[in-house]
Amino acid sequence: MLTLWTRVVQAAFIFLTTESIGVLLDPCGHISPESPVVQLGSNFTAVCVLKEKCMDNFAVNADNIFWKTNHAIVPKEQYTVINRTASSVTFRDVSSLNTQLTCNIYAFGQIEQNVYGITIISGLPPEKPKNLNCIVNEEKNMMCQWDPGRKTYLETNYTLKSEWATEKFADCKAQRDTPNSCTLDYSPVYFVNIEVWVEAENALGNITSDHINFDPIDKVKPNPPHNLSVRSSEELSSILKLAWINPSIKSFLRLKYSIQYRTKDASTWSQIPPEDTSSTRSSFTVQDLKPFTEYVFRIRCMKEDGKGFWSDWSEEASGITYEARPSKEPSFWYKIDPSHTHGYRPVKLIWKTLPPFEANGKILDYEVTLTRWKSHFQNYRVNDTKLTVNLTNDRYIATLTARNLVGRSDASVLTIPACDFRAAHPVMDLKAFPKDNKLWVEWTAPTESVNKYILEWCVLSDKSPCIPDWQQEDGTVHLTYLRGNLMESKCYLITVTPVYADGPGSPESVRAYLKQAAPSKGPTVRTKKVGKNEAVLEWDQLPVDVQNGFIRNYTILYKTAFGNETAVNVDSSHTEYTLSSLTSDTLYMVRMAAYTDEGGMYGPDFTFTTPKFAQGEIEAIVVPVCLAFLLTTLLGVLFCFNKRDLIKKHIWPNVPDPSKSHIAQWSPHTPLRHNFNSKDQMYSDGNFTDVSVVEIEVNDKKPFPEDLKSMDLFKKEKNSTEGHSSGIGGSSCMSSSRPSISSGDENESGQNTLSTVQYSTVVHSGYRHQVPPVQVFSRSESTQPLLDSEERPEDLQLVDNVDSGDGVLPRQQYFKQNCSQHETSQDISHFERPKQVSSVNEEDFVRLKQQQISDHISQSCGSEQMKMFQEISTAAVFGPGTEGEVERFETVEMEAAIDEGMPKSYLPQTVRQGGYVPQ
Amino acid sequence: MDLRAGDSWGLLACLCTVLWHLPAVPALNRTGDPGPGPSIQKTYDLTRYLEHQLRSLAGTYLNYLGPPFNEPDFNPPRLGAETLPRATVDPDVWRSLNDKLRLTQNYEAYSHLLCYLRGLNRQAATAELRRSLAHFCTSLQGLLGSIAGVMAALGYPLPQPLPGTEPTWAPGPAHSNFLQKMDDFWLLKELQTWLWRSAKDFNRLKKKMQPSAAAVTLRLEAHGF
Repeated sequence: MLTLWTRVVQAAFIFLTTESIGVLLDPCGHISPESPVVQLGSNFTAVCVLKEKCMDNFAVNADNIFWKTNHAIVPKEQYTVINRTASSVTFRDVSSLNTQLTCNIYAFGQIEQNVYGITIISGLPPEKPKNLNCIVNEEKNMMCQWDPGRKTYLETNYTLKSEWATEKFADCKAQRDTPNSCTLDYSPVYFVNIEVWVEAENALGNITSDHINFDPIDKVKPNPPHNLSVRSSEELSSILKLAWINPSIKSFLRLKYSIQYRTKDASTWSQIPPEDTSSTRSSFTVQDLKPFTEYVFRIRCMKEDGKGFWSDWSEEASGITYEARPSKEPSFWYKIDPSHTHGYRPVKLIWKTLPPFEANGKILDYEVTLTRWKSHFQNYRVNDTKLTVNLTNDRYIATLTARNLVGRSDASVLTIPACDFRAAHPVMDLKAFPKDNKLWVEWTAPTESVNKYILEWCVLSDKSPCIPDWQQEDGTVHLTYLRGNLMESKCYLITVTPVYADGPGSPESVRAYLKQAAPSKGPTVRTKKVGKNEAVLEWDQLPVDVQNGFIRNYTILYKTAFGNETAVNVDSSHTEYTLSSLTSDTLYMVRMAAYTDEGGMYGPDFTFTTPKFAQGEIEAIVVPVCLAFLLTTLLGVLFCFNKRDLIKKHIWPNVPDPSKSHIAQWSPHTPLRHNFNSKDQMYSDGNFTDVSVVEIEVNDKKPFPEDLKSMDLFKKEKNSTEGHSSGIGGSSCMSSSRPSISSGDENESGQNTLSTVQYSTVVHSGYRHQVPPVQVFSRSESTQPLLDSEERPEDLQLVDNVDSGDGVLPRQQYFKQNCSQHETSQDISHFERPKQVSSVNEEDFVRLKQQQISDHISQSCGSEQMKMFQEISTAAVFGPGTEGEVERFETVEMEAAIDEGMPKSYLPQTVRQGGYVPQ
Repeated sequence: MDLRAGDSWGLLACLCTVLWHLPAVPALNRTGDPGPGPSIQKTYDLTRYLEHQLRSLAGTYLNYLGPPFNEPDFNPPRLGAETLPRATVDPDVWRSLNDKLRLTQNYEAYSHLLCYLRGLNRQAATAELRRSLAHFCTSLQGLLGSIAGVMAALGYPLPQPLPGTEPTWAPGPAHSNFLQKMDDFWLLKELQTWLWRSAKDFNRLKKKMQPSAAAVTLRLEAHGF
């Protein structure tokens, strides 16, 4: 609340006071000094004096005064109250350059009011200017310079003052931005001493430099000589005459000169000895110059006694010295065209234009003289630098001189040897090396005296032919550089030929680079051979155009897809390299760099994959395996062959030959048995000549030939319908069971005539537990055999004995195998045909079973026979007649086997059963 | 040719004088103090410098005056320029002048000429001409100071300027424009003549002073023997 009240009062006060502007404009007091300039580092005291009127109005006195510098209140300790109206403030060691100082009061003890303000400017007094010196520019002005000393931070005026003893001259005030010099715009009077000094002044003081007293002529810088001209002398080719116009100061002043010259192309100046130009003159003859050379001159001057300053350089002037006789004979060489026409050889004489410093003038022409022996000679005048002449095969002496306006050069002599000349004595230890951006060639001189050396060089390149350049060196030289425009990164072929009095010696060559660089292309690497664990890489040598230097080595980098890169350094002489210890069946990336002395360059990446197996590895495995297999097979075959009898016994069981059965012998139809053995005779007609199938339908009373025909038709029908019962098994059985068919001819006939009793007395055991389809035997018309068998078990026993022997048992096995292949389809075929028979036979199954149990041997045998029977029936159904020969053979074999091994005791049993029906 | 003869005579006279006065010359004083020699040389150089200046100034100013004053063979009679100090003098008289009189004549002549020249400066039309004239005046003033210095060095008093003869170049009504130009012409011509003469005067003085140094050497050698 108190502050609020205070502010209200303050506002009211301001309102009241502003009513009278005069009061505001009239300050309540003032500060003394008004605008002080204080030296940095000194003390400063200001006094604020209040006016009585204000003191009354605001009820203040000097005690209420407070000071502010740049809006910051000055500590009370620096205040001093002088009296009731005045208060002072003291600052020690003033350091800031500009300070706002205000005197303030607290009106009514509380309201802050500014009374007065001043700005304290601080700086330094000027230092005494030193090193005052002046230069008088002829006819223009005088400029004096000095060292103004330290910075003053204040506005400081520098005034250059000058006077004679009798007269003062106008002051020269230095510009604010150049407080260290001043230029008087008039030329002072020469030969009258003038006194010059500088006065420096600012708010903190003024100071005067030392006075210098001098004659302006001793500080003069003359104008340069002008209109410099150069003239040559026809008498002397080594001099040039200079002439110029001196500056006007020369009228009353002695001068000395400085003359410089250079050849037109040079950049540095030569100086004419100063003692030759130490007096006033307006011309000079420069000596010891080269003939026919353009020189550039310039000149300057100064006061003869050396006081003052050199003038600026004059404008340059140039002149050409007069011509002189060529100082040296031209380089001279020749080339013989290898194309050789009989008796003549085209010789191309070549020479070099003389360099200007040797030509000493414009070469007008060249004179070539060819001397054959001593008498005969020819002269040629040539403007060109080559001459082609047709020479005989003799030895020639060629001389060459160059001619200019003044005279001719010495003669350059060259011996062109005879055609049969043999060059010899080459230079030794020829070397070439770059140095200081030049290609230097060094050699050891031959022991013979050499007139001169010819150096030839050209750029080796695959793209362009070798165009040689050449130069000549004196016979004493054994180190020189190629004076041609050589390129970097190019291979130079340098040839040095010594020239003897009687002709040229053998040339020697060397290759060199002015500056090598990294190859511009890398070598392209490829594989020559890739093995399981190694790869042979090969590459071509880089063409010389991309080599850019001598290939020092190669670096081969190779890596797998994820592996680290491996680097191999290879000598530059190689063009292939074998990477070993590679992993098989792996992709490798290879790249290759060629390195010169200056760096390398990589060629393109190349990838290859190592194979899984080494070459021949597969063969090494497969061949032995095959061989082993072959051997095994051979051995097996051999074994089989050796043991064929044994095998045969196992494979083809001895089927009893019914024809050889005893029953046949005593059967009333013995001749039939004959028919079996001579089927050809029996069935000589038709396709069935070889088939020994005899089918006899029980109910069919047709004559036999007709039966065959119907049989044939039936077979055709079956074939055409294709279906039948056998399917795959059937067809396979057909082929495999042909022997059975043939052998089963008899069986079939036996089966078919089951009801009428065939020859066999087959005892059935169920095939694969099937009901034996035919119990033909038990149901034969004649019950005799069955009874017989029951009555005479010894016969069966006999069979048993036979079966258990070697001859019978394998046969049983064979049937087993054979029939197992036929499987059920065979059975089906069996069931189709003799249905009426089987229906009858089923009743007898139980009885047969009993028999099987009682005598399993006869059972098994019987089952085999049963099987055989089935096959025959099948064969009969499908009519495999065409292969009758095979069948017949097999039949014969079987018959033989039967003959051999079939116990005849069995057959009579059947016969006794009375199952055989004569046909 | 007169000049050469004068120079020879001067040299001879100087040598004789020096030899005559040789025993009286305090050698140490001579060697320690350079004497008036350098200032005489400088004054001589200054006259040559002023000659050089006047040559260009006269050319410019005569061109400013116009024909016939700028014609090379313009040689009018000396009319109305009687107040100008005459530089021409009989060679014998010139040769017989002593140093003091010679220097005094020079000083007085240049004092007058300078006054006339300042009047000329005020009349000059172009700034460049005024500037050249001002510079020449300053130089001439320098010459006066230089002569005064030589005289002081030789111990001669400066001539007192005559009261009332302070030259004022107020063109009188009697002067026509042409006559005025004639006065200007003669002023420049007389200046040139005076500078030539002064060069000879100071050369004579210079040569007169130089042998004294040589004499010192001679005397020392004689003393040695």
